[in-house]
Amino acid sequence: MKALRNVLDKIHPLFSKGGRFERFYPLYEAADSFVYTPGEITKGTTHVRDAIDLKRVMITVVIALLPCFFMAMWNTGYQANAAMQLTGGSVEGWRGTLLGLLGYSANPDSFVDNMLLGAAWFIPIYLVTNIVGGLWEALFSIVRGHEINEGFLVTGSLFPLICPPTLPLWQVALGISFGVVLGKEIFGGTGKNFLNPALTGRAFLFFAYPAQISGGTSVWVAADGLTGATALSAAAEGGVKALTTMHSWFDAFLGVIPGSMGETSTLACLFGAAILVFTGIGSWRIMLSGLLGAVSLSALFLLVDSSTNPMFALGPLWHLVIGGFAFGLVFMATDPVSGAMTEEGQWVYGALIGLMCILIRVVNPAFPEGMMLAILFGNVFAPLIDQLVLKYHIKRRLRHVEG
Amino acid sequence: MSLKTFAGGLHPPDSKAYSEHKAIEICPLPDELVIPAAQHIGAPAEICVSVGDLVKKGQVIAKPKGFVSVPIHASTSGEVIAVEPRLHPMGRPLPSVVIKADGEDQWDESLEQNNPENLDAEALKKILWNAGIVGMGGATFPAHVKLSPPPEKKIDTLILNGVECEPYLTADHRLMLEESERIIDGINILRKILSIDTAVVGIEANKPDAIEKLTAECAPHNITVMALEVKYPQGAEKQLIDAVTGRQVPSGGLPMDCGVVVQNVGTAAAISDAVRLGHPLVERIATVTGPGIKEPKNLKITIGTPLSHLVEFCGGLEGEPGKIIMGGPMMGQTQLSLEVPAIRGTSGLLIFRKGDFSTKPAGPCIRCGRCISVCPIHLQPTTIATYARLDMVDEAENYHALDCIECGSCTYICPATLPLVQSIRHIKGGIMAKRRKS
Repeated sequence: MKALRNVLDKIHPLFSKGGRFERFYPLYEAADSFVYTPGEITKGTTHVRDAIDLKRVMITVVIALLPCFFMAMWNTGYQANAAMQLTGGSVEGWRGTLLGLLGYSANPDSFVDNMLLGAAWFIPIYLVTNIVGGLWEALFSIVRGHEINEGFLVTGSLFPLICPPTLPLWQVALGISFGVVLGKEIFGGTGKNFLNPALTGRAFLFFAYPAQISGGTSVWVAADGLTGATALSAAAEGGVKALTTMHSWFDAFLGVIPGSMGETSTLACLFGAAILVFTGIGSWRIMLSGLLGAVSLSALFLLVDSSTNPMFALGPLWHLVIGGFAFGLVFMATDPVSGAMTEEGQWVYGALIGLMCILIRVVNPAFPEGMMLAILFGNVFAPLIDQLVLKYHIKRRLRHVEG
Repeated sequence: MSLKTFAGGLHPPDSKAYSEHKAIEICPLPDELVIPAAQHIGAPAEICVSVGDLVKKGQVIAKPKGFVSVPIHASTSGEVIAVEPRLHPMGRPLPSVVIKADGEDQWDESLEQNNPENLDAEALKKILWNAGIVGMGGATFPAHVKLSPPPEKKIDTLILNGVECEPYLTADHRLMLEESERIIDGINILRKILSIDTAVVGIEANKPDAIEKLTAECAPHNITVMALEVKYPQGAEKQLIDAVTGRQVPSGGLPMDCGVVVQNVGTAAAISDAVRLGHPLVERIATVTGPGIKEPKNLKITIGTPLSHLVEFCGGLEGEPGKIIMGGPMMGQTQLSLEVPAIRGTSGLLIFRKGDFSTKPAGPCIRCGRCISVCPIHLQPTTIATYARLDMVDEAENYHALDCIECGSCTYICPATLPLVQSIRHIKGGIMAKRRKS
């Protein structure tokens, strides 16, 4: 560590004002502050400060995502291995060659085999996301002359987790580029975007290349020529009956079902939620109200029932464990930048997302999944909700003059 | 019983251990006192002495200009050696009277002692005005103005502010412990002026000794003592009213709009002196503290004493000073030099060494909402601060920037270390300027 510090100190003059690589100071700063805490002293009043800072906020989110990362690899591998065992297929291309070298034997009962195959699908998507997205971040911060922000760490972790395993890498690059550039940077960078960048990127792919991200049933399991419908599309087609013949509720809760890589496991999301709520980084108000919104509306649909729409009968318990509901509510809806900031506003915002998600899933035949659109919808309304909360407080004070 | 409080706020480490158990000491007079004409909110007083004049302690050296203004008095006897702009705690040179102390410290003989029993409210208010009594909590608003609500505003409650929620400061705490009889006498005078009975002393629960003592001594006078939750800014006027009465001051309003007058306990003590002894406001209790001070102390200081003199009396500086703050760490003002004088609003002198304070550069706002959940007024500091940085005055006004009490909670909590309260203060100036123009 000491040696690294020395190197950084040694090259500092090259990057500071007047130095040869002055333009690239943001890159230097990012490397330096990633490893060490910067040592400048701030001026100005309010002379004491709380210990929390942005870096800690961002890193906590990434830590909370670790269970989802794990499931993204294990479950992607497991689904593919299990499917290949049925059909007798094998892993092809560079993945096959590489995995063969590592002693991979396509056994769905082997933890190592599942992890290896899952990593072979997940890691390329993760790397492309972070390299391409990181390049855009670096480019914008160099041109604008500000520091590279830790915020991308979170976007770069969220985006690969909401991709299906078979998404072509060029589409990954396109999606994250759209998300970072049009979802964030053109509005001024970290903190200035009104939509969640990872979801913006995914929404772009969703509408531009539906075949690869949601189309048919071939994209969810990473094995050639195989079909594996997501739980949601199965339910949309054949109702609860079709769903229960494919998966048990408990499988869906654990996440041992096909789907976007990181979002199948509600259990993993619960771990993440616990970390976010305990550290105060993610808003428990948004999570709870989103849950209540979704449960109440889906319960209502269950009561009403419909002879033509099988989704009515799905019920709250299933809604919570399938699709991107848990992942979206825990990690996407609580994104502070695009969400509501006021405590009262967070209740409204969360409930809005929960309601919209169920509404889209159940009554909109075009999209089996509603969470992504529900959150983007909530994002757009967040500033308005906050403004109304402020007005409410001002009015309330007037009512409390008498005590 | 759960303690009363307001919604919002936070808990900075209170750091009062430096000085909370130290009895008040009298700081000896310096050779020279610098007494600025502006020591209160409102129009600065007009200096009415000139170089060479001999003055007595308590003699008026600057006359009030208008109703929202108070006279300034010589704080010791001696000779006026200069009338010129001197560096003021506000950060720029302002007209001041420099007095060379003669060491006699003789009171002006014309000062009258009074028995408050024999005076009516108007006469008492006149005495307070002449004595230059201002809010001693730091805001320095003239007391006689606060005590003269228009007839349509019915006042029913007097609240005494003994909260002292600023970290580090212990001056009010010591005053309540050591000079409670002056405070109680002041409360009785205030009740007489307002012709009301209800008086409540609010004290943060982290001063159990002061609560116990005042509770016992206030009981015979029918004054209530209320222990309040330890939370910043519990001592801010509107938050104190909310905690004690459950009433909320409307946007753009004053405490009198909900029938309350708030005075600091230090002000009550000064009021007692002004009426009974005839002494104008020429001294106060202040805490000299912080890691940059050798021996932190609570001092009775003479108004006009240079800060360097206070530091010297407290054993000098410890280490290399990094920041000199008049007041507490949340709302106090950074000083340019130790040659600045202590004034009527100086509740403390806080010195940090280099490296004692925050070292993080500001980052982008991620709209995490922490500033909103701690804001005791339920404003949206980050939104107002964004408008402030863009100089969007109308938008900031629409977000009720003028309601901000500048407590600094938002700046304290911000994980991006943004200067939120500073930006809001800036745009408040812009909004006021716009209002004056139109």
